[in-house]
Amino acid sequence: MDANHIPEPQAASKVLKETKNKIRVEFERTPLMQRLKAKFLSSFFLQKVIWYIVRLVLLLGLAYVILYPFIAKIFGSFMGMDDFVDVTVRLIPKNWTLDTYIAIIMENNYLQAFLNTAFLSLCCALIQTLICCVIGYGIAKFRFRGSKLIMLFVVLTMIIPHRTIQLALYQHFRYFDIFGLVSLITGGTLQLTNTDVPLMLLSLTGLAFKNGLFIFMMRQFFAGVPDELEESAYVDGSGVYRTFLQIILPLSVPMMITIFLLSFSWQWTDNFYTTLFYSGRNAKWLMPNIVSVPPSLVTTYPGQGLFYSAIHNTCALLIMAPLVIIYLFCQRYLIQGIERSGIVG
Amino acid sequence: MNNNVTEKKLSLSSGEKGIVGLWKKVISFFTGSGSLEKRKARAGWVFVLPFVIGLAFIYIPVIIESMKLSFCSLQPVRLPNGSAGVKLNPVGFANYYEALFEDVDFVQKLVGGVQQLIFDVPAIVIFSLFVAVILNQKMLGRAAFRAIFFVPVILSTGLIDSISVNNGAIIDSTSSGIDDGTGSNASTQIIEAVDIERLFANMMVGQELVTYITTLVNDIYNIVNRSGVQILIFLAGLQSISPSIYEACTIDGATSWETFWKITFPMISPMILVNALYTIIDSFTSASNTVMSYIDGIYNDSKTVLATSMAWIYFVIIMLIIAAFMGIFSAYVFYQKRDA
Repeated sequence: MDANHIPEPQAASKVLKETKNKIRVEFERTPLMQRLKAKFLSSFFLQKVIWYIVRLVLLLGLAYVILYPFIAKIFGSFMGMDDFVDVTVRLIPKNWTLDTYIAIIMENNYLQAFLNTAFLSLCCALIQTLICCVIGYGIAKFRFRGSKLIMLFVVLTMIIPHRTIQLALYQHFRYFDIFGLVSLITGGTLQLTNTDVPLMLLSLTGLAFKNGLFIFMMRQFFAGVPDELEESAYVDGSGVYRTFLQIILPLSVPMMITIFLLSFSWQWTDNFYTTLFYSGRNAKWLMPNIVSVPPSLVTTYPGQGLFYSAIHNTCALLIMAPLVIIYLFCQRYLIQGIERSGIVG
Repeated sequence: MNNNVTEKKLSLSSGEKGIVGLWKKVISFFTGSGSLEKRKARAGWVFVLPFVIGLAFIYIPVIIESMKLSFCSLQPVRLPNGSAGVKLNPVGFANYYEALFEDVDFVQKLVGGVQQLIFDVPAIVIFSLFVAVILNQKMLGRAAFRAIFFVPVILSTGLIDSISVNNGAIIDSTSSGIDDGTGSNASTQIIEAVDIERLFANMMVGQELVTYITTLVNDIYNIVNRSGVQILIFLAGLQSISPSIYEACTIDGATSWETFWKITFPMISPMILVNALYTIIDSFTSASNTVMSYIDGIYNDSKTVLATSMAWIYFVIIMLIIAAFMGIFSAYVFYQKRDA
């Protein structure tokens, strides 16, 4: 390096140390106190601090509003019977007890409901995720006659409330028949209620709970995937289906995790389809069935109403416990996935 | 690309008859050659095939059946083979007449529900926009706050929601033992309505607005619980705005207030529309809705047909609201023109 090209130090600064390649120069600096003053006593800083505090208080308050019912439910579930008539008990129980939990788990057949629901939700969520992904891809990436119409129907399945088709849906699966074909063959209609078939059929055709929303989310996600990606695959000689399986599907895994989580947890807490399709004495034991007061806890003492509602809340806690655990691990994916979908109108 | 034409051509070219021939035709229709455009159009049909099958065999028949049921009355009968069945007797508009003119509560609930909806939608949209803007700023514990705000989406649905609704007023008092008996506690009544009403009355803003705001504030739990998805939609929208626009604004000396109204608000206006629609749909299809729970009650009262026609009336009204809303607001939405 040529020594002549080193710029000369400013007049106000002084050279501290000079070696072959480095030079340390001290400029005249504003004193520390003045710098701190400028930084912390300005109106800009004050504004920032105030906004920071306001924001924190606001968010903490709202977080409290969201979490308080859960906290109250948790404490309420540990309360003994006497705590409900004790005026001095507020939130924190005096007689800690696990009786409510034990009674619900033992007498309401929680474990069986857990296993049945887990199996059902897992199957439904897996099928729904895949099917919604496929349908969303078809709507987003292919121009064909009627694609607009199909999108309209997807929106329609979102808008028409379940209650409207509740009765017809029940009848459809209670006396199941495809244009008279089944009764032609077997001489009568099939009864599909109290089996897993109706839910599986609905999942397979993208008509189950909130599937319209999932298809819409998938469509938005795929609309954001550049077309060039597929075009280059086509140029390289890959077919449409192979491109989907090998390029698009791995790409959409984060979004599919989001949809899987949503459909799993909504199926888990679903009480519309489960009560519609599984009814009667021999029905499958699912989560909605455990919501009742266990026989050993039936009382007639004054705090009965509160006690029973605490028991119901404990049932709710037991139902949501697995979801909470899943959510704790997966909320990152959930939020990322939805943000990435960019549901832009 | 007319699919019928392609099918006809294929049927002419293939000589085989019967099921085997048909099957080969179907296979060649989906995998066969043709221009890329044609093949892609056909592949598109394959991808949406599950949904089309569902529409044809389940959804459309069910919708038609449901409409038909709402014009009929059900009569339990015994089928020839001994099993129980139902017989439909067409009754014309009798169910609708009963729902609208004979049922004492339904019209009242309907008007109340629609009113509630019109009040709730702006509140939820504004609230979720506000929270999304705050959560989009960089700060300590942002991830934790985001996780908390999204909890209701997972946990306050379906079964758990209905348990809370059934427990009704006593849900909060479980935690506090028996209260002073007035039934008001921290979570159900955040501020005393009287105080804030007195405060606002001095500002001369009108009684309706005051009542509206006080109900909203006291209903904050409900609003927060119902705005989880909306917050996330807004967050997604906010993150899709390019930071360079904000940078340019800051350099030109715009305050954050101006930046919000001149940049953020127009850029996010499509999302406001989407969110408003989502809120309408979500709140009127949820079981905790007053009209829905009333219809549910009628249904469980084994007046299933009446409930179906009520649900159809409700659906038509909501469709009208959505149509009116779309008609008015889609004119004001700003769409950013993107370069292809």
